[in-house]
Amino acid sequence: MQEELPGGYAGKILRVDLSQNRTWTEAWTAEMCRTCIGGVGLGIKILWDEVPAEVSWDHEDNRLVLATGPLAGLPAWGTGGLTVVTRGALTNGATNTQANGFFGANLKYSGYDAIVLQGRAPEWVYLYIHDDTVELRDASALLGKDTWETQETLEQMLDLTGHQLSVYTSGLAGENQVRFAAIHGDYGHVASKNGCGAVMGNKRLKAVAIVRGSKALRAADPRGLWMAAQEIAEDLQYDPSTRSLYEYGTLPGVSGLSRLGALPIKNYTTNVVPEGVDMSQWTAQGLREGFDHRGHQCNSCGMHHCHAQVLPSGPHQGAIVDEPEYEGWSGAGWAFGCTDPVATSWLNTQVDRACVDVNEFGWLMGWVVECQEKGYVTKEQLGGLTITWGDAEAANALLQMIIRREGFGDVLAEGVKRASETVGGPAAECAIYAMTGNTPRGHDHRARWEEMLDTCTGSGGTLDSGPPVLPTEMGQPARINPFDPDAVARMVGGTRGRRQFEDSLGTCIFTTRTLLSILCRTLSAATGWDFTKDEALLFGRRTAALMRAFNIRCGITPDLERPSKRYGSVPVDGPAQGQDIGAHWEHLLDVWYDMVGYDRQTGKPLPATLEDLGLSHILADLWDAREATHAGT
Amino acid sequence: MKVLRITPQRCTGCMRCEIACSYEQSGVFQPAKSVIRISPFEAHTSYAPYTCTQCDEAWCMVACPVNAITISPVGAKIILNDLCVGCKLCTIACPYGTMFYDPDTAKATKCNLCGGAPACATACPTQAIEYVEAESADWLGSFAAERAETQLAQQA
Amino acid sequence: MARTRHVIVGGGTAGMNAISTIRRYDRGASEIILVADERPYSRMVLPYYLKGSISESHVFTAPPTRLRTLDVEPFIGRRAVGVDTQINTLMLDDGTELPYDNLLIATGSSAVRAPVAGADGSGVHSFWTLEQAQGVIRGITPGCSVVLVGAGFIAFTILNSILALNAQLTVVEIAPQILPRMIDATGADVVTRWLQERGVTVRTGVQLNAIEDADGRKRLRFRQGEDVMADQVIMATGIRTNLDWLEGSDITINRGIVVDAHMRSNVPNVYAAGDVAEGRDAVTGEAALHAIEPTAMEHGRIAGANMAGQSQTYRGSLLMNIVEVLGLEIASFGAWDDADAEVMSALRPERPAYRKLLWHDDRITGAMILGPARDIWATNDVGILKGLVQSGVSLRDWKSYLRGNLFDVKRAFIAAGATGRLLPQTVLGRPSVAAESVAVQ
Repeated sequence: MQEELPGGYAGKILRVDLSQNRTWTEAWTAEMCRTCIGGVGLGIKILWDEVPAEVSWDHEDNRLVLATGPLAGLPAWGTGGLTVVTRGALTNGATNTQANGFFGANLKYSGYDAIVLQGRAPEWVYLYIHDDTVELRDASALLGKDTWETQETLEQMLDLTGHQLSVYTSGLAGENQVRFAAIHGDYGHVASKNGCGAVMGNKRLKAVAIVRGSKALRAADPRGLWMAAQEIAEDLQYDPSTRSLYEYGTLPGVSGLSRLGALPIKNYTTNVVPEGVDMSQWTAQGLREGFDHRGHQCNSCGMHHCHAQVLPSGPHQGAIVDEPEYEGWSGAGWAFGCTDPVATSWLNTQVDRACVDVNEFGWLMGWVVECQEKGYVTKEQLGGLTITWGDAEAANALLQMIIRREGFGDVLAEGVKRASETVGGPAAECAIYAMTGNTPRGHDHRARWEEMLDTCTGSGGTLDSGPPVLPTEMGQPARINPFDPDAVARMVGGTRGRRQFEDSLGTCIFTTRTLLSILCRTLSAATGWDFTKDEALLFGRRTAALMRAFNIRCGITPDLERPSKRYGSVPVDGPAQGQDIGAHWEHLLDVWYDMVGYDRQTGKPLPATLEDLGLSHILADLWDAREATHAGT
Repeated sequence: MKVLRITPQRCTGCMRCEIACSYEQSGVFQPAKSVIRISPFEAHTSYAPYTCTQCDEAWCMVACPVNAITISPVGAKIILNDLCVGCKLCTIACPYGTMFYDPDTAKATKCNLCGGAPACATACPTQAIEYVEAESADWLGSFAAERAETQLAQQA
Repeated sequence: MARTRHVIVGGGTAGMNAISTIRRYDRGASEIILVADERPYSRMVLPYYLKGSISESHVFTAPPTRLRTLDVEPFIGRRAVGVDTQINTLMLDDGTELPYDNLLIATGSSAVRAPVAGADGSGVHSFWTLEQAQGVIRGITPGCSVVLVGAGFIAFTILNSILALNAQLTVVEIAPQILPRMIDATGADVVTRWLQERGVTVRTGVQLNAIEDADGRKRLRFRQGEDVMADQVIMATGIRTNLDWLEGSDITINRGIVVDAHMRSNVPNVYAAGDVAEGRDAVTGEAALHAIEPTAMEHGRIAGANMAGQSQTYRGSLLMNIVEVLGLEIASFGAWDDADAEVMSALRPERPAYRKLLWHDDRITGAMILGPARDIWATNDVGILKGLVQSGVSLRDWKSYLRGNLFDVKRAFIAAGATGRLLPQTVLGRPSVAAESVAVQ
């Protein structure tokens, strides 16, 4: 007899072997639910158990885990969550990247908490899921299509509309294994980091199509769950720290960060808004009301965050696009000097449709423009294309070359780190990246040291800790001097674990910006556990440590934990002018390592840390006996 | 009489009403059992909820051969489960497409206004669904026509 | 002044709806007499009774308490044998003479068996009346083999029930396809395959010659092909209206009793409703004999209202049928087989699903829908197709879209403003009331 699972879970993990055209399900155990929860917690366990060192990102035995979590499909806000975990193409290490939309809800209503893909299909296929019907189907009709076209075509083929069908695909970028290809779904939701879309393409999996299933999800205490969901909703609506997020999502970022010198402008060459730019267009209200807009929310979400908008002017007037996130305004705009909201908005959706990470795209475009301006990359190299600061149409032309790997697009398709290394010379010094291969988020981290440290030490292809949420709950100060290296490193290390917990729930990081204690109450109402804040943090730190252990096994060593030359440079103007993170880098690492309990020399979680986190079973894999006794002394 | 007033311009398509409705109907979270349904009206965007208007004729009620549909104190046409045999006559009689049939129970289901406290209205985070004193009306028609223009233009 | 006396002949859907409608208007002011040869029951629910999912008591629609509440004087177990419209008197089979002010004829239909040798033998049943249903229930035991002769709507309503009793089922049909009066050949193919995949044997285009006794079983002989052996045979070979008893009366009968928009026959105080009435078809505008439950219901209500002194004009009935077989939903509406209509159809055999819309200009006049009942995302579409036919709403802007997207009718329905056209529509020009709220004062 199958044991009773905690509430909230659909109960099964869907396994797919693309090489063998075989699908099967695995049952969870109650214990596994509690120790892995879901999302990245589940994904990293699968990577650790099943992806050994020699299985690189493009090996067919690599696993692509598309996981959701216990809260997905339930009435808390933003419960459509997808967490992608795989060995990614940019770092060749672990990936932990999220998208929302309706993935998690639709998958769980079909009866599955996660999909684990392995192997490589002999011919292109898409995975069709509707309740108990799981099939790998011929994808030839979808090849060459962008993400939106793929979803539209599947809607047509399956005669489904709206959220009855969730489609997650890696577009043309995935087909051509662009190294920063993303996984996109439901018109505007992107799990973008670490080339997870390249892994999908490498497996010849064009798309995952999930019909909103007809099965039931149960909560251990449904009334308690409704109340907890209501409490989160009220917190998000009425707490001053989240009010603008509730109202405008990440739109306030542009004007806010520009005043801190943290808006990346023209490939980090300046931090001053160019003259003549009307910043009133770039306020949250300006960006929202400057367009005819419609709410386009994820499952069960009440945030006025995700939107669609109609382009009011320009060559693409009337087109419906996804309202860019802050990261889109930055990556498809400011990072390469585009200060026209309409052009940026259009380009951002082209990036989503092409299916690449918008941050990497921004750094890449900024780099190309600067290199062409300075003569490091010629017009001939670009196939006759001239791209100047802010030219969205030219950027799109390059994007199309990249996702088809045409001409110089083939070099650019490797991402800015490898492209700049290939071109070499002074061009190599203008590129923004972390040496591990992690793509920095769309800020100027020279004015946001926490994120640069986090990006460079992160094990999941992006930030591990993220911007601190209610840090006092974790014993950290409410705010710090952003240029105090000690405080910065303590904050990043001291808040470690919260993000991994959030990324395991099947929700969205924007709807979990509430007290951990409330999140734990929500999880407990769903599952029937008595989950506490301490358990949540222990879980998160265990997950983070396992991710790091995986990366160590993949050969990602601490000497890579630093920014590229441009990324770690000193701002020449603007509010953060002269702030030099490089001067403090070693100290930042020292303090951070001490905070998280990892070995400063080898990067490994210390034996004592492993023991504290309940990971003693991997100690022998990570440390040989002699080393272990000396480590950390 | 209080009715579910739909303001489609406010709907973001989050489907929370479906989750709430299914919970109210069955005690579990299962949108397949919801009797309010969200549809898209402009390509993949512009959504709106659609459910029973509790119309005057009550096509479902008069069609029922065993009088298993009646009018509740709050004016909702409701199914009496003990009487319903699952013949589906109501599902073809209702010209709005708001009668449902639950294959698990083999009975018809429909919006019963949750006895006067509709869960969909409570759950809607944007007040696109409100339970107010009003005349039933075609809440969606003009919105859908307007938003569909984009879609139809693309098709043409 | 004497109370107006209404005599209702027939206790089926039409008759009972007429009675409750009269009472809704007059609250007991008139006298109502019900003549019915059986205790009134709902024919629609007999398949569920056969299956065992409801009890026999659930079948009856007018138990004595209900008739008392409505102040109806019942003549149950009596048949009408004639009417003299000159002296406004109805004659019953026991010699009773019932004078009336208004007469409603709602005597319904009976099953007819194919005229073949052995069709009246033991182990051969009809399935139309409650008594016949009881006979079928007694006959079927788990594992026995049943042959259903006739593959029309009535046959299909009991198909689930026979299989639920764990019988082995063979369906034979004289026409080249099953459900010939409900769906087209493409749809019939989908249904046939669905049935075959679920262990039902289907033979179409075969004519039954004889039913013979063979060692305690039945042997069915056909003009074409092999014999079929069976333990029980159910004849669902058609129905005919119960109008014989009106022979020689002054009432005009075509295929049924010809009625006007008030459900009046040529004799002003004689009304007809249900299967026997040839009333207006809402789509074609012509007189038609529908013999379906929803038409009987509306006929009864309109007749009742007019008998109660109202002046209610009937807009006409919409032909519609729905049946579910083993989880496959099959429905058709309006003029679904109109050869003059413009047709759009879409077939998805793998699901299976089939849609067909019939158009005159930019209006849908007929529709067909087939698909799994579990396909919850399509269940709304059944009613929506009905609404499109019923409302006659213009789909000008949507016609070309629908040609390529036949499974996306809801959006067109809503955007075309069908709801707004339908909301003011009522059959009796006022809000309906629940059955139990109608009572004499």
